[in-house]
Order: sequence, then C-alpha cells, then structure tokens
Amino acid sequence: MNNIVLIILILLGGGILSYILNKVTPLFAGLTAFAATAVAAVLFFTGLSANDSFEFTLGGMQLSWGINAYSWIFGAMVMAFAFLALLYSMSYMKGKDRLGYFYLNYSLSVMAMMGIIFSRDFISLFIFWEIMTWSSFLIVVYQGLSEGRVGIKYMIFSAIGGYAMLLSIVFMKAEMGSVLISDLIANFGSFSSGNQTMVGILLLITFGVKAAVMPLHVWAPRAYADSPMSYTSVFSGLLSKMGIFGMGIMLVSVFTQSKGFDAVNMYLISSVLAWMGAITGVMATFYAIIQTDAKRLLAYSSIGQLGYIVMGLAIGTKLSVMAALFLAVVHTIFKGTLFLVVGAVERQAGTTDMTKLTALIRRMPLTFVAALMSIIALAGIPPLAGFVGKWMLYESMIVSDHYFLVIMAFLSSTAAFLYSYRFLFGIFLGQEEPETKDVKEAPALMVIPMMLLAGLLFFLGAFPGYLFEPIANGMEYLGMGHIGWNATVLSNGWGDHLDTLAVVNSIVIIFVVVFIFLGLKNRKKTRYVTTKDVHTSGEIPTENENLTYAVDFYKPFERAIDPVMKRKMDFYYNRLGEGLESFFNFLRRIYTGNGQTYAIYVIIFLVILIIFSKQIFI
Amino acid sequence: MVISPVHYIALPLLAAFLIPLFAKINKELVRIIPGLVLAYLSAVSIVLMQKVVNTGQPVIETLAGWQAPWGINLVFSAFTGFLATLMTFMALLIWIYSYRFKKIDSEPAMKYYILFMMLVTGSTGIVLTGDIFNMFVFMEITAIAAYSLTAFYRDRDGAEAGFKYLLIGSFASAFVLLAILLLYTQVGTLNMAQIAERMHTVPTGMKITILVLFVTGLGIEAEMFPLNGWAPDAYSQSPGPVGATFAALVVKAGVYSLIRVIFTLFDIHGAFDFLVIMGIITLVISEFAAMKQTNLKRMLAYSSIGQMGFVLIAFGIGTKEAVFGALFLMFNHAVIKGLLFMSGSYLVYNTPSKDIKDMAGIGRKFPFMTFFFALGAFAIVGLPPFAGFWSKLYILLAAADEAMLGLVAIILMVSIVEIVYYFRVVAKLYWGKPTDNEVYHKPTFGGYISMTILAGVILLVGFYPDVITGFIDRAADTLLDKGEYISNVLPKVQELVNM
Repeated sequence: MNNIVLIILILLGGGILSYILNKVTPLFAGLTAFAATAVAAVLFFTGLSANDSFEFTLGGMQLSWGINAYSWIFGAMVMAFAFLALLYSMSYMKGKDRLGYFYLNYSLSVMAMMGIIFSRDFISLFIFWEIMTWSSFLIVVYQGLSEGRVGIKYMIFSAIGGYAMLLSIVFMKAEMGSVLISDLIANFGSFSSGNQTMVGILLLITFGVKAAVMPLHVWAPRAYADSPMSYTSVFSGLLSKMGIFGMGIMLVSVFTQSKGFDAVNMYLISSVLAWMGAITGVMATFYAIIQTDAKRLLAYSSIGQLGYIVMGLAIGTKLSVMAALFLAVVHTIFKGTLFLVVGAVERQAGTTDMTKLTALIRRMPLTFVAALMSIIALAGIPPLAGFVGKWMLYESMIVSDHYFLVIMAFLSSTAAFLYSYRFLFGIFLGQEEPETKDVKEAPALMVIPMMLLAGLLFFLGAFPGYLFEPIANGMEYLGMGHIGWNATVLSNGWGDHLDTLAVVNSIVIIFVVVFIFLGLKNRKKTRYVTTKDVHTSGEIPTENENLTYAVDFYKPFERAIDPVMKRKMDFYYNRLGEGLESFFNFLRRIYTGNGQTYAIYVIIFLVILIIFSKQIFI
Repeated sequence: MVISPVHYIALPLLAAFLIPLFAKINKELVRIIPGLVLAYLSAVSIVLMQKVVNTGQPVIETLAGWQAPWGINLVFSAFTGFLATLMTFMALLIWIYSYRFKKIDSEPAMKYYILFMMLVTGSTGIVLTGDIFNMFVFMEITAIAAYSLTAFYRDRDGAEAGFKYLLIGSFASAFVLLAILLLYTQVGTLNMAQIAERMHTVPTGMKITILVLFVTGLGIEAEMFPLNGWAPDAYSQSPGPVGATFAALVVKAGVYSLIRVIFTLFDIHGAFDFLVIMGIITLVISEFAAMKQTNLKRMLAYSSIGQMGFVLIAFGIGTKEAVFGALFLMFNHAVIKGLLFMSGSYLVYNTPSKDIKDMAGIGRKFPFMTFFFALGAFAIVGLPPFAGFWSKLYILLAAADEAMLGLVAIILMVSIVEIVYYFRVVAKLYWGKPTDNEVYHKPTFGGYISMTILAGVILLVGFYPDVITGFIDRAADTLLDKGEYISNVLPKVQELVNM
C-alpha cells in the first residue's frame, strides 16, 4: 500500500486505538500513540520518494496527495518533533485523567498536519486543516474552561481562517474548474486583478491565523498557555508552522505568478505582510517582557519569533526565504524544547509563576542545560543555530534595502534578550528558597527528548549545511531557482565569510579550558557555596533595599513602554464580540413567545407578498 | 401482495387504528406493532428504490383505478422515493429510541404510538402523493398528530407549545386550502402532473396570487421566516423523540411540498430568487437567535430552522449541483439533527433545570451521550471529515458557480456563529465544572442502538460520501426535470381516462 496513505492511516488508527486502550490502562494510551508516531516517522524517513502519490475521487472531488522537496522539510519537522514530544508526553501526562481523549486528539492533530503536508489539492488541505483545528480545540479546553473563553476565541479565529480558505476554494473551482495547488500556481497570473487580491488576501488570512500574525494573534497567548505543555510544544512548534508552510507556497510560488500591474499589487500585499510581521515581532516581544508566568512569556515569545519568520517570507528574496525557513525549523526545535522545559518545571515544582520559582539550577541541572541551549538559540547568540538564522535574516533585509524593517527586527531582538534572561533567571537562577528545596530532576523520559533537541541545536549551529540542503531543495521546488550553500560556511554579498565550524570550535575550546582550569585544576582551592545572595557582605540590609528581583523584574522598562501598550488588540475584539452579542439579543426578541404575535407575523407576511407580488415574482 | 407505495399509507394508518384493539390483547403489542410496521416499510423502501434505480422509471400507483382528474396516484420516483426512504428509516430509528423512553406507562404509550403512526402516514403521504388535494389531506393528518405530540406531556409548556403550533398551523391549512381551491377553478384538475401541464393557461395575476398563498401556507410548515414562530417552542417543549421526529419527518415534508409547488407546479422564475432571499433571512436570524439561547433543545430548534433556511437557499439557486447539495443537506440534517435531539434529550433529562449552564461537566457521567452530541455538533457545523461537510461544500460550490460569492460569504459567516454556540456547549459538557445533582437516568438500550446507528451513518457518509451520492444525484435529476414528471405520470393516468 502507498506509504503516504499508510502514514495517515497509522496515525489515525493509533489515535483511535489509544482512546480505546485507555479503558484498559492509561499507560497503554500513551504507549500506543507514541508507537504509532514512531512507526509513521520511520515510514516517512525511509519509505518516501518524490514520486509517491495517491490520487482518488471522493464525492466527486479529485483529491491528490504527494510529497515534494518543500513539504518534506515540514514533514520531517512534524514527524521528528512529534515523536519526541509524545515520548515526553508519556511521562508528563502520568496521573492525569481522560488520557484517551487527550491522545486521540493529539494523534489526530499530528495526522492532520501530515495530511496538510501531503495535500496537493486544496480540498484535502481544507479537510485536514479543519481536522487539525477541531482536534487542537479539544485539547485547548482540556485543562478546563477559563474565564477568557480561550477555547472559543481560538475556534472563532481558526474558523475564520478555515472558511477564508473555503471561500477561495469555491471561487477557484468556479473559476478554474480545479482545486489543485499546482493549478492555482499555473493560473494565478490569469485571474483578474480583483480576484488575485481576493484569493491572495483570503489565503493569507487562513495561514496568518495559524501563524499568529497581528492582528489575528489574540487567541494565541492564552491558548498556548492553557494547554498541557506536552501539547503546547507541538501547538506552538508545529501547528503554527503549518501557517508558515501555506504562506511559503502563497508568497513564493503563487504571488510571483502575477504579471504587470497585478505584480505591483501583490508586492504591496507582501510588503504589508512584512510590516505586520515586524510589528508582531516587536509588540509580542514587549508583551513577553512584562509577563510573570513562564508559560505566557513563552507564548508571546512564540508569536514574536513567528513574526520574524513571516517577515522573512514576505520580503521574498532568496536569502530572506532561506533565512525564514531555517528560522522556522530552528524555532520549532528551541521553542518546543522550552515548552517541554516549562512542562518539566511545572510538573516537578508545581508552578510556573516566575515570582515564586527560584534557583532550580541545582535541582534540575539537565533541564537547565536544555533551557540554556534553547534560550541561547532564541536570542540568536553564536554558536547555536539561532544565530545562523538571525544573521541570514538581517543580512537579507539589509541587502534588499528594507532598512526600517532591520531597525524593527534589531529592536525586537534586543528586547528578546530581556525576556530570555528573565526566563532563565526567574526559574533557574537566583537565591535558593525553602519551597523549592525538594524539587527533583524530571524523569528520564522527559529529559531525553529535551537533551536530544538541545544537542540538535548545537549540531545545527556548527553544521548548518545539513539544514541548508533540504531547504535549498525545497526552495528550488517552489520556483526560486538554484541556491548555493555550503556545509559550514556562511558567506554574504560582500564576500566575507563566517565559518561556523571555526566559531563553534573556538567556543568549545575556550569552554573546555575554563572548565579544566576552574573545575579540575584548582579543585582544592575552589569551594562550593550555596546559591544565596552574598552581596551584602555582612552588613544588614535596610528596609527599602531590594534583595531579590523576582517580582516587578522589569518595572522601569514597563514604565518606559507603557504608552505603547495602552490598548491590546484583544480589547477591541472583545468589544466587537459584545456588540454582536447585544445585536443577537435584539434579534432573538423577534420570537416573543406570544402565539398571537406569530399569527400577526404570518398575516403581515402574506399582505406584503400580495401587495408586492408583481415586483417579487416577475 | 405486490410491493407498492400504497403500503406506506395503508399500513401505518391501519396500525394506528388497530393499536387500541391490540392493546386489549397484550399491552406490549402496543409498542411492538409500530416497530413491525416500520421495519416492513423500510424493507419496502429498499425494494422500491432498487426498482426505481434499475429501471429509471418511477413506480406509480393509481389508487382504486379512479380516473384523473379526481383519482389519486402515488408517485415513488427517485426524488420522492429518496425522501420517503429517509423518513421511514428515521421513523424506525426513532421507534427504537422511544421504545421504552422514560418508561411511560401503557396508556400514554398507546396514544403516543397511535399518533406516531399517523404522523408517519401523513409525512410519507405528503411526499409520495401525486394529487394536490391529497397532499392537503395528508398535511392535515400530519398536523393533527404533530399538535397532539407536541402537547404530549400534559404540562404547561407542552400545552403552550401545542397551542401556538395549532394556531399557526391552522393558518397554514387555511391558506393552502384556499390556494388549492383557486387553482382548481383555474385548471380544473387536482392531479399535480396535469396542473403542471396546464399551468401556462392560467393568467399571471391569478398565478401569482395562488403562489403567494401556497408560499405562505407551506412556508409555515417549512419553517420560513417570519412564519416559524411556532417552531422553537414545538421542538423544545415536546418530548425528545418527538423533536427528532419533527426534524426528520415533518419539516422535510413541509419543505418537500414547498419545493414541489415551486419547481413542478409553477413556472415562475422569480420564485427561485425569492427562495434564496427568504432562505438567507431565515438562516441569519435563526442562527443569531440561537447564540443567545440557554435552553439546549431550544438552541437545537433554532439551529434546525437555520438549516432549513440553508436548504431553501440551495433549492433557490436552482442549478443541478445546488439541488444535489440541498437534497444531501436534507439527508444530513435528518440524520444529524435526529442524533442531536436523541442525545440532547437525555442530557436535558438529567438536568433538573434544563439550562445549559447546569449541564457543565455532565460528560463524565454520560460519556456516550456527550460523545454522540459532540459528534452531531461537529457534523452539523460542517467540519470534515463528517457528513455535514460534503453537503455544505456542494452548496457553496454551486453558489460560486453562479457567481454568488456574497452569498457564500454570508453563509460562512453564519457558520462561524454556529460553531461558536455548538462548541460552547460541547466544551462545557466535557470540561465544565460539574454541579451536584443526583438525577441519573440512564439511556435505554434501544436509545444506544439508534444513536450508534446514526453516528455510524454520519461517519460513513463523512468518510465516503459516494455511498449515497448516486441516489441523490438521481433524485436531483428527477426533481429538476418537470417534463419527465409529467410524461411519467400522465400516460398512466391518461390510459385510465381513455379506458
């Protein structure tokens, strides 16, 4: 049987099986889901070739599935990460109830993502997109309903996105007679100007909702924070990349088909999108800085990083798209790891509130190492992979003369240092407190995926070429022409080189030397101290001296950016929702409940029809 | 005994009147006889559908050999047969569901089954008949049964709902009767095929007036806005299986009669646009009203009205694909709404205050009911991979083909509203904080069976819609081809006239 179909069926079957087996014992539920993902991953990495395709007719629609160089990148990401996240999940979810429901929806999400990746036609894409939406909704509400109506907000935005796609699908079918993605690419140039804009904007809305671009992002912070962490890693790491997947196709393949005046239109839309990405990056980063809960901080940070990626895609040069896709993969790795870390902390220490956590570095050293690697990658510091991506992105923006965007990107990157440090300090560093004395390291099943992912970040920082190759192939498939790459050397337009291997080697050597010097050589002279603040040097601190900086960490910064943060987008959406609700209430009163009123409605209807019958019916 | 469409009418009616006699023999027979009748009718449906599909000709039965224009004939074509089959199967499933619903003692049970049988007679009669006055007669039979079933629980709510239904329903009967009378004076026949043939001889002013009367009268039954005030009360304040019956049988018959009048009898093209506009208004207002409902069954009622508005839109668009989508939607709606009412009434039954707020967390005690309800909710909103998705897709494609993109946008926006209020309930059912109530009525075994069958159908059609698209395709063809209808029915009738 066709491997593509097999992968989808295995994931679907795994989900259903784990739901059923949950009645036997909860252990089986996680195990089945994990096993199904493992088998699917193996099949994906070993059994697929570019010629695999699966076509069938369902309900009169021609559906077509296949794999190409571009979708392979995303497929690999999904399969590898889902595998690790499910491994982590087996131990994270221990003791929680309704595991069958959880794993069923988890597997359905993963299956839907693979389906999206395999889709060659828009109807399959829509079907899988909606399955992904409702299965993730069911998990968002897993931890209980919250006051902000998080789940419903998520559903509304995803539905808006999904139905925007459906609107463009029916339009495409009426206009072209086909819903194949390749046909859209081929015929896009021949659409009328208004139609091009309409289809373009509708599909960008669809993918933009998932990629949490402002102003469609309001569902994301709470939805990411309120789901169980083992799912949020997939949610933020993979589901959002489905939006990037679609945007890549739209921006690189479809929009470039416009000619003449329409091309200017499309370029305008892309520029607007790039700016929205930049604004998202800046604003989300600011919001992340003022958070006190680690989960929300990471959620906002996700939105910000996605803003970068969207910006890179929207600019559209070879280097920027390469940078964006590289950053997308790296973001999945480090953001996923960070959410896994937060999950581990939550499980072991009981809370993720950074004003309450301190000094877990001694208690959870391995978790700390994973978090450290991920934060370094997030901030874009060499020698890890994030640096490579950010470097390429900045360079692409400078080379293509988008100076203002560079300024926004720098601003948001620098601000990202603030929350990166806050995250590390708030959870792992600082003074030891008695409440966190008994926290133990996370179980092995949780630590292994985190360390593997951290190691991957290190590896990609040294040898980015291993990621360049599939991305370059993918971009060629999208139509960008041949892109040169090199295993360890980044070169820029001015002829300078950056040998990442040299950077990594030098850092490793320095690290080893210092470690030997401090740790081993001077062992007798070094003394281990507790992580208590020792800066007062024996003097008694006065009342108004701040000894630890857990609460109000960035108060001056908050004061500085307060004017910018006055109104959240969320506020406006809530107002809109309330306005609609009162309108609905008004409409509801048409049904007064009084039988005689209904009788009068009938008579009025009849009278109106008779009076205006000629106008209505002829 | 030759298998013929007459059985649809004769057997349930006979059973309805004989049930009191059987009750004297054995109380259980009261419950069993309807089941036997419905099972037999389901078998008849399958046989007749096979015949229609194989020969491509409708099965026509002239009753007692009386000649047109006074004789009655029954037409089991691909279209009417499809609807009749759907109704019969749904009635069978509802019978299974209500076999021991609430363990009603024997006397009310007898009344329930008598009325149920009469309702089945009436609904299938409306769909199968080829004579317009006969259709009116069956409308009345259905109406009587429906009014009484609405008020079945002898409490204030039921009586109020029944009264409103009776009030508005009598308008419907009056207007339809008036329209039939006027029509008869113009064309001199009551046979639908002959009316269709002779319609062009009627002067336009008269034609339009008659159409207006028909639209108003039949629109009441088809739950068009603003004629559907009776519907929320009737659905929500009647017993659960009765609500399902209304959704699956009565309203389908109402829409059928409206469609038959507009598509086959009359030849006024403005009527189609009228249907689209009224459908849009119905859809929008009822879905928006549904958002603010706190009573689960009332919410389902508004949703039902909205779906019927959607069906009217699809019929109004009028192309082959649109009619195909409309029929598919009618099928889906009957199945899914049936499932929703069935599971919903158990959820409501176990909540003393009948309020959605108090149903929070009920998913723990009743996992199956909640699962069925959630499945129904996902399906009716039109999410893949469930059945409702395909019907929505086809209708939207048909609208796009007619360049009605604004209509598509309106429908999708309303769908978002639908998603909100259904998913609100589903999330609350599964994950809300449970309130303490000691009420615990387990569903009956029959209830589980019928709900499982319906859920299975939803999943099957969702994953593989080709199972029924063949039938629906033929049904759509038959509906649209007025000439075929006339030529199929009339020779049979004419040969009797010539005899």
